[in-house]
Amino acid sequence: MKYWTQRLTMVLALMLAVSMLTFASMNVLGDPLFNILGPISGDRKTPENLVKIEAAEKQYYLDKPLPERYVRWLGDFVTGDMGVRFAATGQPPVTELVKERLPRSLWLVFMAQVLALAIAVPWGVWSASRSNSLANKASTVAAFGFVSVPNFALAVILYYIFALKLGLFPLRYDASASFLTRKTQLLLPALTLALPGAAVYQRLLRTDLITTLQEDFILTARAKGVPRRQILFRHALRPSLFSVVTIFGVNAGGMIGGALVVETFFGIPGAGTAIVEAILREDFPVVLALVMIIATGFVVLNFVVDILYSILDPRVRS
Amino acid sequence: MTDAPLLNVSNYSVGFKTERGLARAVDGVSFTIGAGETLGIVGESGSGKSVLNRSIMGLIASSRQIETGSVLFDGSEMVNQDRQNFWGNRIGMIFQDPMTSLNPVMKVGKQVAEPLRQHLGMSKRQAIERTIELFTNVGIPSPAQRTKQYPHELSGGMRQRVMIAIALAAEPEFLIADEPTTALDVTVQKYILDLLNRLQAEHGMAMTLITHDLGIARGRTDQVLVMYGGRVMEHAPTEELFTHTRHPYTEALLASIPRLDHKKHARLTPIPGAPPNIVEPPPGCRFSPRCKYAQARCVQSSPTVDGAEHRYACFFPVGTDAGAEALASNRAAGETATGLKMSHFEVDA
Repeated sequence: MKYWTQRLTMVLALMLAVSMLTFASMNVLGDPLFNILGPISGDRKTPENLVKIEAAEKQYYLDKPLPERYVRWLGDFVTGDMGVRFAATGQPPVTELVKERLPRSLWLVFMAQVLALAIAVPWGVWSASRSNSLANKASTVAAFGFVSVPNFALAVILYYIFALKLGLFPLRYDASASFLTRKTQLLLPALTLALPGAAVYQRLLRTDLITTLQEDFILTARAKGVPRRQILFRHALRPSLFSVVTIFGVNAGGMIGGALVVETFFGIPGAGTAIVEAILREDFPVVLALVMIIATGFVVLNFVVDILYSILDPRVRS
Repeated sequence: MTDAPLLNVSNYSVGFKTERGLARAVDGVSFTIGAGETLGIVGESGSGKSVLNRSIMGLIASSRQIETGSVLFDGSEMVNQDRQNFWGNRIGMIFQDPMTSLNPVMKVGKQVAEPLRQHLGMSKRQAIERTIELFTNVGIPSPAQRTKQYPHELSGGMRQRVMIAIALAAEPEFLIADEPTTALDVTVQKYILDLLNRLQAEHGMAMTLITHDLGIARGRTDQVLVMYGGRVMEHAPTEELFTHTRHPYTEALLASIPRLDHKKHARLTPIPGAPPNIVEPPPGCRFSPRCKYAQARCVQSSPTVDGAEHRYACFFPVGTDAGAEALASNRAAGETATGLKMSHFEVDA
């Protein structure tokens, strides 16, 4: 229990550090006033501009020192108010934008990870149990193919085959469709993200499984008459999942990056595209909010991975 | 003993294809075991004793393995057959290291319940009840709580008891105990061996006890097979083997272990050299390079395992005139026919 309290404290400290760094870099490297008002921000001599500048400074607390602004922002952020956008109108507020865009990306990455595991586990078990066959060599080639083809190329190929030629998936994402339809629309983009992940998981699982299958306890299981299939899934799989679980957590971050490309290609207005638009317009509150949320998700997921270790192996618990 | 032995192994060989040629891990081994009988298989590391048993059971899953000869188990031929139906069900097996032979991420109760459900078709509840009975029977205290523990929460002796419970769960007719006590400390060793003997008597089970400890073989077996380099060197009823040792290798093994009736500070006599190369071995007796009786004949041709009750493969057996002459001529020459200095053996003389 003490261990988990420590871990949780570390997670929170890490989140604070991330937020400070992001907040500081956004404010120090950029010029918020310029981003809000444009060229007039440097002109304090014209009285009417000075009025605008002072009004903006008051509204965005730019007249206050950086630490105070950080604390104000953090207080707002944890209570769910992510502030006002720097865009000319300031509308819609960041919170609204995040609420609209983020769920699509989260669904996309979630579906991609589920698909990746659903593909990788049977694939890995199969290839570990028949490690020398010809089909297995083909599967190795396929795995490396999925890993080495860039996301956008894979997106083009899958789109061409499944959407254009076979017509199994819609050509464009339709944000106004029903919940279930929107999820089916996400399937192809999710598959694009999932295949490279699945290939990596499969390779890791295969290697670990081959090692586990050499263990003495597998011999015991065989000698007591456990059927082959049960040996693979009940005895060998669980102790072989450590690498996969570790990379699963790390890969989630990579998938958010990949989501950006995939969202753009499939025309999904998600968080990935939102963050790119915001960076191009130097709309820092949006960038800050999204970076914070993604970082939180990443850290929490890896915390869950830590918990998973102890579920997978009782020896970690004691 | 019944008319037909439970296990009848004749001229059984196991080879492995390697890049350097065929490795003859087991070479022309024959023996029989009747119901309720115990066969001790003795030999140093690499003598082929473990491969012999795993191959008989068909547990070696290698396409490089080649089996020849005959192994009849209860009348059915096992060589080159799929033996999966026998595993756990009719033949049980206990391994050397209880630390690594249990699944570390599965509760021990479940590991015992598996063969019960698999072979006896028990329900989950029946299997749990039976597991607790089995645990009681192998001497595991507070068995109900133990079933819910993981292997790492148990001591080595407890784990080996769990292994025995697993092996005996489906009440096999034949048990292979592959160095069951090698990894345990001496006090636990005795307990485990006594337990095996008691359970064997209770179930009328046949057993092979693989060991490199001649002391264990002496007290707890009906017959002993001494292996070297994949071949049978000597095979006899246990008392006969120890009282009328014929093979120089058996004699050397006996001389290399400490005994209570040795005089104080007596040196042990190690066997010089290392186990033989089993890939493309030279002609002649496999033990000749390390044998103090070795003569020119031993290098040229290989003795066959001869005899009825007491079988051995040696031209110059211990305790015979031929053997005494061979030893005397080697002593006079100062070395054996294979160039081994006799001074190696005369440490304490």
